[in-house]
Amino acid sequence: MYKTSIRGKLIDGEKSLSQISQEILAPIDAKTPTWWYIALGISLAMFAFGVKSVYITLTQGIGTWGVNSTVAWGWEIINFVWWIGIGHAGTAFSIFLLILRQKWRTAINRAAEAMTVVAVFCAALFPLVHMGRPWLFFYIFPYPNTRGPLWVNFNSPLFWDFMAISAYLLISASFWYFGMVPDFATIRDTTKSKIKKAVYGFFAFGWTGSSREWLRYEGLAFVLGGIAAVLVVSVHSIVSTDFAVSVEPGWHTTLFPPYFVVGAIFSGFAMVLTLVTLMKKLYNMGDFITENHVDAVCRILVFISLIMGTAYITEIFIAWYSGSEYEMYTFFKNRITGPYVLEFWGMFIFNALMPQLFWSKKVRRNIWVVFVISLLINLGMWFERFNIVVTSLSKNYLPASWAEYHPTIIEIGFFIGTLGMFASGVLLFFRYIPQIAIAEVKMISKYNTQQTDHLKPGHHDYE
Amino acid sequence: MIMNKRYLIGVFDDEHTLVDAFEKALEKGVVIEEVYTPYPIHEILTGMKNKTNITTAAFFFGLFAVIMLLGGMYWAAVVSWPLHFGGKPFNTFPSFIVVTIVATILTITILTLLTFSVRSKIYPGKKADIIDIRATDDKFIILLDQEKMGMGKPEITKLFQNQGATEVYEKDANTN
Repeated sequence: MYKTSIRGKLIDGEKSLSQISQEILAPIDAKTPTWWYIALGISLAMFAFGVKSVYITLTQGIGTWGVNSTVAWGWEIINFVWWIGIGHAGTAFSIFLLILRQKWRTAINRAAEAMTVVAVFCAALFPLVHMGRPWLFFYIFPYPNTRGPLWVNFNSPLFWDFMAISAYLLISASFWYFGMVPDFATIRDTTKSKIKKAVYGFFAFGWTGSSREWLRYEGLAFVLGGIAAVLVVSVHSIVSTDFAVSVEPGWHTTLFPPYFVVGAIFSGFAMVLTLVTLMKKLYNMGDFITENHVDAVCRILVFISLIMGTAYITEIFIAWYSGSEYEMYTFFKNRITGPYVLEFWGMFIFNALMPQLFWSKKVRRNIWVVFVISLLINLGMWFERFNIVVTSLSKNYLPASWAEYHPTIIEIGFFIGTLGMFASGVLLFFRYIPQIAIAEVKMISKYNTQQTDHLKPGHHDYE
Repeated sequence: MIMNKRYLIGVFDDEHTLVDAFEKALEKGVVIEEVYTPYPIHEILTGMKNKTNITTAAFFFGLFAVIMLLGGMYWAAVVSWPLHFGGKPFNTFPSFIVVTIVATILTITILTLLTFSVRSKIYPGKKADIIDIRATDDKFIILLDQEKMGMGKPEITKLFQNQGATEVYEKDANTN
């Protein structure tokens, strides 16, 4: 049979089970390093800037933003879609790689899920504040309210979006949390500190690792995993309908749902790559997150990047092929050329062309090049959302209402605030939560050989 | 009233010796009370003959949610407060599907988590009934109730030791 070295070892070094616990828990037991405090300080300062910007928005109104009646959606919606996209990776990692029986997911899924929860939190803030009067946000709940028994519009993509994001936040958070319960029990049972024993013991829910618990736990993981796979696809499809259901040129297209879902997973995987590089370098998790893991994520990025490139070209082709003057104008005069060329070509180069460098093994194995490319992909994905939101709105059907859009410092501050919130969340995660799913890594430690035989029939013993 | 019971405990170092000992013991008619492991092991989960209906429960939660959601939206849009949108029908069924999918998933998640918590008796702040504290780290534990082991203590001890148990000891404890 054709044999090839598909993936190298999943864990470097011959490690005993207790070594695995110790090494993964090392950052929790160790003294907090100085750089951590500095990084948290910077993140919190950024967060404070965001809080101030939101305070100004709430007290003075949306008029403090650069949006106008033509470009009514500015940075807030761009950032909302961008964060939601990043938030897609966690569940995509956990679920799709679980379904595809990719054992290498175990080293990365915890970090990806943590990132998801924080990113979705950041995302949810934008539409909330964008409402203008966020204290009345409960109007969007479907309840028979005081204006007579008047219901919400069940056909509105904005209502779908609200449902989708609340569901996604709750489900990713519970999926993440239940994955951690056995690991909290490990901390409870191995730590020497009484405080840690009490705190992690509280969150470990009385877990003992009995066969009855594992049986139901596996059942739960199966159910949550199965339905969350549907959710991942539906959430970003719904986000895309916010645009696609309208009649704006550049938005009104059936390509949007798959294009958004793939784009979301793309940016999420890039952010995962950023995080695991930090985990490898700052916390010496290199034995668990080997270069083979990074390699695998890079290969996925090449594939997704090709899909992204295809989507961009399809959009342009359809604009020409449809013969619609407005579509032609939007794509050829307001994206490829015109005032927003920087954003368009930034998007195209960072998302469709640059990840092609990952075809080269040398690039995939150079962690710093990978790190830089992963950051640039996220920048590119931000440009993509800018392209979609601003270019289509700025020049609509009526030239008299054309307008330019420039963000104000308040909007920039709001975005920086969410970046600070994300960074603080990730730092707290690094410090207080096992960065890698201990129980799952232990489970795969028995497969810790070069995987050359996975084409063998009947190789389905991963459960 | 919870009675303290006397248990016999076999400690194993790795999955293979545990599974071998577990299967050998079952063959010889030993009644195994419980097995504690750092990660789920398929052979143990099937060998213990415990069943979980959590997936079936989840299906019915989903069914319940779909009926309630579609029924609820139909009621709100057609019966409770019908609105005219340019001659479109009140019952805009296909677009109800979007909310139905997402809210069904949410309902399944919440109810399944609750079911898991209730059935496994797992909840925040619960004090764990720890038999051997190393079971969440690197040891694999087989627990036998001394009153109903199905075999004598010396034979079982010998069986476990032959199968590679690193320790076999006795302990008083109460578990549920």
